[in-house]
Amino acid sequence: MECKRCGNKDPTYFYKGSKGVYCRKCVSFKRILLNEELNKLDYDISKEAGEYHFDYPLTRYQLDSSLKTLEYLKQGYDVLLYCVCGAGKTEIVVKSISSYISRGLKVCYAISRREVVIELAYRFSKIFTNNKVASVYGDHHNDLTGDLIVCTTHQLFRYYQTFDLLILDEVDAFPLSGNETLMNIAIKACKGNIVYSTATLNEFLKTYLSKRKYKEVSLYVRPSLKPLIVPKVIYNLNIINIIYLEIILRRMTNQCIVFVSSKKLCKTLYIIFKKMFSCTYVYSDLDIRNENIIKFKNKEYKYIFSTTVLERGITIRDVNVVILYDRDLAFDKSSLIQMVGRVGRNYKNPYGKAYILSSSYSRTIRECVNEIKRANNIYEMSILRQ
Amino acid sequence: MKCLYCDNEIKDYSLYSLLFEEDKLCLKCRNKMNFHHQKFKLEELEVESFYEYESLFKDLLLQYKECYDEALYKIFLYKIYDYIKLKYIGYKIIYVPSSTSKLSQRGFNHIKKIYESLNFEEINGLEMIEDISQVAKSYKQRSRMKTNYKYTGKSLNKVLIVDDVCTSGSSLMGVYDAIKDSCKVCKAIVLAKT
Repeated sequence: MECKRCGNKDPTYFYKGSKGVYCRKCVSFKRILLNEELNKLDYDISKEAGEYHFDYPLTRYQLDSSLKTLEYLKQGYDVLLYCVCGAGKTEIVVKSISSYISRGLKVCYAISRREVVIELAYRFSKIFTNNKVASVYGDHHNDLTGDLIVCTTHQLFRYYQTFDLLILDEVDAFPLSGNETLMNIAIKACKGNIVYSTATLNEFLKTYLSKRKYKEVSLYVRPSLKPLIVPKVIYNLNIINIIYLEIILRRMTNQCIVFVSSKKLCKTLYIIFKKMFSCTYVYSDLDIRNENIIKFKNKEYKYIFSTTVLERGITIRDVNVVILYDRDLAFDKSSLIQMVGRVGRNYKNPYGKAYILSSSYSRTIRECVNEIKRANNIYEMSILRQ
Repeated sequence: MKCLYCDNEIKDYSLYSLLFEEDKLCLKCRNKMNFHHQKFKLEELEVESFYEYESLFKDLLLQYKECYDEALYKIFLYKIYDYIKLKYIGYKIIYVPSSTSKLSQRGFNHIKKIYESLNFEEINGLEMIEDISQVAKSYKQRSRMKTNYKYTGKSLNKVLIVDDVCTSGSSLMGVYDAIKDSCKVCKAIVLAKT
């Protein structure tokens, strides 16, 4: 017995219901009976598709990587795209996407969060002006077809054996990492090649990739050709950290994101600070989160208190970051690197400040700082060699 | 045995589950289901509810109803089973009908499946006039359910109406209105109230 959707073979997960035997491991994506055929989604792609243009030029590093990626894909390999935060992973895969679409093949870009899906779909529709870019997420799945599909990883169960090129962004992040069911569903959505793209390699991904044939493309430099911003770490008692936070916020001239570990803390800090600064807050199940994010992007507010929702994939220009570090459970190394990676994403002004406020000396913070320094070193060495 | 929700092996047992009935959920998940016994009145109808329609209970009920996960039917009456069985001796049971299109898709009647183990005598003859599915309906549309039931059967003595969730109460009231002329005592049970 094997589930067609999630590949589960463990007999304890199968249950005999009144309609037949079904797999309980992936039942949260709606029941699939064992003898039921999964329907494949078939749709056509418009013929004149595949042209793209950027509003800004790519650096030679990006062009190199994008050519390399396409070459490996043509040879039939999966690709691991390992780039630092803000290196422009999206721009690198655009060439491959356009090559696939112009051959009439189906492409999907899957990422973990719905906020990022909305933003990416908008960006792609600017890049591929002649094509229809469909975004599929939580409450938005009436139209499942398009020349290029941007979706959350949870929605991939709708596309069984559909795509010729699947780009899995942020493979190391929350839903995919450690969740074999979802990973299997994601991989079964693809009949061709997969591009895994990430900024932080973790153990789960390493062990997972060791079973598959793949080639690595790595890039350690941002388009601005400046090194990554190294966070300033401040150790203090928790209460003093809050006072520190206020001092830092008062001195700041740019907008700033304050990352905290829990929803409750997020709300409390907002209540404390809303009388002093123009600020807002956001967490995953807040009803008005989209409005708050949009208002922050339009510079209506100066500060935003956020949980890990804003950690990945979001680009806000000229922003600083303060992380209130609390316990090892809430933030791991990759999420710290991602948060710091929000800083300095403007092509013209690649500077900014990042602070980590912590009450205890932690290995995770040290690893994060070391990792960023290592990436900077590799880039500087490569310049020296030339 | 594995917990039906979190898939972890069940290692700790509560005293109740050792002595009386085995729980299909682990203690951690069971404690997250907020048990909250409430009695309230919808006009003249007395209703009892047992859970809060929140967090884990909501997830489980949605997985059971909308993702058709039939295996979950046993977990909802855990610990309440004896209470209902003793309190409503001599009652006949009536399930709030659900739309036939959903029923054929699902393959089982989700309300009947939960309460079937009580072994109360079932009443037939209650029908929906118009086949409406209630999912994602607004408050106004739901209130149409009030006049959507009709009962054609013999007169009864004691009747217990059962449903899963009471949102606006309109489907419960609809059933009550249809049946109140042909019975003497009528009470209702729901799993949760929003």
